[in-house]
Amino acid sequence: MGRSVAIVGTGQTVHRSRRDDVSMMELVREAATSALADAEMRASDIDAVILANMELFEGRALPEMWCAMGAGALYKHTLKIATGGTSGTSGAIAGFHHVASGLFDTAMVIGFEKQSDGQTTAGMALTDPMWDRHVASAAIGNFAVSISQYLAARDVDERHSAMVAVKARRNACNNPCAHLQMPDLTVEDVLASPYLAYPIHRLEMCPTTDGACAVIFACEGKAEKLCSRPAWVRAAVTRHDLPYLGDLKDRLLTMRTLRDAARKAYEIVGIREPIKELDVAEIYEPVTYAELAWYECLGFCKEGDAWRLIEDGLTQMDGVLPVNPSGGVLSTNPIGASGTIRTAEAALQIHGKGGRRQVPDVNLALVTGYGVYSWSDVMILSSSKG
Amino acid sequence: MMHEDEFLRVPITMDLTFRYAAGRYFTHFFREIKDNKRILGVRCAKCRKVYLPPRPFCGECHSRMEDWIEVGPEGTLVGFTVVYFSFHDASLGGVRPTPFGAGLIQLDGADTSLNHYLGESNVANLRIGMRVRPIFKEKREGNISDILYFEVLG
Amino acid sequence: MTSGLHWSVEGLAVSGRIAVPFDYSAGKTASRFLRELRDHQRIFGKRCPNCLKIWVPPQASCVECFVETFDWVELSPEGLLLSHTWISSPKPHHPPLRPLIYGLIRLQGAHNNLVHLIRFDEPGELQNGIRVKAVFSKQRRGHILDIAYFRPI
Repeated sequence: MGRSVAIVGTGQTVHRSRRDDVSMMELVREAATSALADAEMRASDIDAVILANMELFEGRALPEMWCAMGAGALYKHTLKIATGGTSGTSGAIAGFHHVASGLFDTAMVIGFEKQSDGQTTAGMALTDPMWDRHVASAAIGNFAVSISQYLAARDVDERHSAMVAVKARRNACNNPCAHLQMPDLTVEDVLASPYLAYPIHRLEMCPTTDGACAVIFACEGKAEKLCSRPAWVRAAVTRHDLPYLGDLKDRLLTMRTLRDAARKAYEIVGIREPIKELDVAEIYEPVTYAELAWYECLGFCKEGDAWRLIEDGLTQMDGVLPVNPSGGVLSTNPIGASGTIRTAEAALQIHGKGGRRQVPDVNLALVTGYGVYSWSDVMILSSSKG
Repeated sequence: MMHEDEFLRVPITMDLTFRYAAGRYFTHFFREIKDNKRILGVRCAKCRKVYLPPRPFCGECHSRMEDWIEVGPEGTLVGFTVVYFSFHDASLGGVRPTPFGAGLIQLDGADTSLNHYLGESNVANLRIGMRVRPIFKEKREGNISDILYFEVLG
Repeated sequence: MTSGLHWSVEGLAVSGRIAVPFDYSAGKTASRFLRELRDHQRIFGKRCPNCLKIWVPPQASCVECFVETFDWVELSPEGLLLSHTWISSPKPHHPPLRPLIYGLIRLQGAHNNLVHLIRFDEPGELQNGIRVKAVFSKQRRGHILDIAYFRPI
């Protein structure tokens, strides 16, 4: 595993549908300076910088060049990672690897997206021009097709999906950075919102957001001096799969990349009953049904029982395993940042800096990232070095 | 005139032209559709999985695939949706009229499925497991749109 | 410019065309710089409180020191032409000025250099090291081309 590495500081911008007051580089700086302040470090204390961004969406190639200045990365080892929705977690895992390798003592990872500059049309270029590109239904349509398979295989009804939406947007009210904060949202409101693509209602889908998030990694020896309760990275696993939507049988339900990444991560840490042993989970859920399907993939419950978890409130803030106290991707989705936000939110729970969204006594936290069709990242953070 | 809070924007439209090499496998696949209205998959000799679209290597076995197999033309609907929101359609150059049906179709003999349009846009008439068949263009060009959509057979 | 994707198989290739309309926010700092060009035909930089360097276009934080900048400094529209190049075959996305010449200009007082268009009257008057001055466009919209070009003085 290399040497031990912990997250010692996090920072986020205020996430909004449009941040007209800043350029992309200034957005990055807002997150970077916030994380540096949190860790009480200076830019010169950072050895390596990893930038995570889906440059395609803003049509700005080489965001690492444009944003180096905003990241305090001048004259430093700097890398960009662009892996779809997993950019933010892939970036975090890359930051962890840099420090674990022994070659860098500290690394700052900044995930960001200035979504309002961009065009969803550009997202179409993510798909294969020969094959998948011609069906112009975007991520929403693709999720909807996968959800039809999930609904056919499971005893879930649309109320369960709506409960996930309500949980997310109400949790977001405890998170001053979150984009969609809806304290009075009800299941009825969600089900009354128009269909985007059957069966997805508008309020069941994630928003598009401008935002950035920074996370600082430090090696053992330094981490303990920088942070009173470092969030140690105990596992970091990435899995990819075949390239076409049609290659992935029952995608949401099966999600073999997530199952395998989680299985491996649990094995590394020695977790046998995730729902009992984990204290908090920040999972990347682009649509409500994904959260339900992935409760099973993550081993939170038996196959087929996801609806029970949400119905019985087990994943609410006062439940046995709070899922997404931050409000999740359903509340805030600057694509390049979303995975870094999951990482930061899990880390700050261990740091004890969750404020109104703090879960009591967090020692073990789960982070997941999701991208395009079926890429998965899983990290496990702990208050103990292991 | 000048306001402290006037935030300016710089609009730039990128006009991108591209020319993708189809490669040997897609070329053969599309030529068969264009010339003979036949849909071909390719089978891995090791794990026996039949892939659509055809591709040179089996992702699971890492072995080269040379066995071409005709699949379909009929198949089974294994996932579906009806899209209600307007979305810029690059192949039309504008917004596709909604609602429209789309889904995953597993052609008979193939182990993977194909993402395509459906000839049905009423959710009440769609179910996983329905049989479907491709409706081809009269004048085919050798690309995925040579199949206009899949007709739902019930 | 026809928007959209058109499929054609010529041999082994599939070609098409996509027009993607991006719409970049300048942010607070660049917005003020552009408003000053548009409304007052003035060029502004910002000075770092730490190293005292003036950057143009202005930056919200110093390029080298990483600290926030506060002081707006009006710069002279005149400067030194440090180097230049001719674009011998301009493309559709280039500005319409012909001949098409880009120059690197050090405005008086600025630490860094500005890239902009150069226009000259007499052949032979264009060489590195000469003094140049900004000429503003009659129609201005809050864009770097509100400065039409720089010309020798």
